[in-house]
Amino acid sequence: MTVHNLYLFDRNGVCLHYSEWHRKKQAGIPKEEEYKLMYGMLFSIRSFVSKMSPLDMKDGFLAFQTSRYKLHYYETPTGIKVVMNTDLGVGPIRDVLHHIYSALYVELVVKNPLCPLGQTVQSELFRSRLDTYVRSLPFFSARAG
Amino acid sequence: MADEALFLLLHNEVVSGVYKSAEQGEVENGRCITKLENMGFRVGQGLIERFTKDTARFKDELDIMKFICKDFWTTVFKKQIDNLRTNHQGIYVLQDNKFRLLTQMSAGKQYLEHASKYLAFTCGLIRGGLSNLGIKSIVTAEVSSMPACKFQVMIQKL
Repeated sequence: MTVHNLYLFDRNGVCLHYSEWHRKKQAGIPKEEEYKLMYGMLFSIRSFVSKMSPLDMKDGFLAFQTSRYKLHYYETPTGIKVVMNTDLGVGPIRDVLHHIYSALYVELVVKNPLCPLGQTVQSELFRSRLDTYVRSLPFFSARAG
Repeated sequence: MADEALFLLLHNEVVSGVYKSAEQGEVENGRCITKLENMGFRVGQGLIERFTKDTARFKDELDIMKFICKDFWTTVFKKQIDNLRTNHQGIYVLQDNKFRLLTQMSAGKQYLEHASKYLAFTCGLIRGGLSNLGIKSIVTAEVSSMPACKFQVMIQKL
């Protein structure tokens, strides 16, 4: 059980933060391209899900999984998107992603006057607290599963 | 007191507003820091008037400093000053190990050069509070590792 990596996007598609913990295979394209690809995919899936839903939509797109990994998605009303890739043994982690938004992003980035909104986060404090938090999660183990 | 986030965000905007509207050369010669300190001075004067309306008169200078460290700091920042030192000759050093306006910024050395901008208002706050209690002083602040900082108060004997 492990966490592979984490992306944080704002409402305009700017990648605010990216960290990885266990990633055996890279995408083979430069990082900028990778962020655009991820954001574009999320944008398309969200609108697809709401159009094609056979019932009234409640939460919208939550996660997708393949035979090797699961991608979890959380979006706030202000358009901040938290995306986490974990392995398959992990269940719904909406509250974890919500905590990353409220207790880490809002507290340490929004309230930091030296972190301009809409740009990649430079704050060391945010980076280290996020790392500590993810490593302390029950489904994160130091050895990749 | 209202939610802390309100004052924190407003204070951050005040600091960046003062710096944005600074004219040529004002940033270097410290005019911006002075403007922020004067704002804090006026606010401190008003606040102390409000907080002490029901307390008894203070015995001496040390008593006033203790009031600033305990009650005044608690009402404004929801915690007390962690350490008060004095040389009994008019110099007091107030140490706050987790200053509320700096905790979100960094935990160490990052952004250290910008820290003084965010302490100027609070220096004025202390100076204004003391002035309305009858003490003329000079207040400076220093920070070596966020979020801990020290406020130095020099009492001016008239």
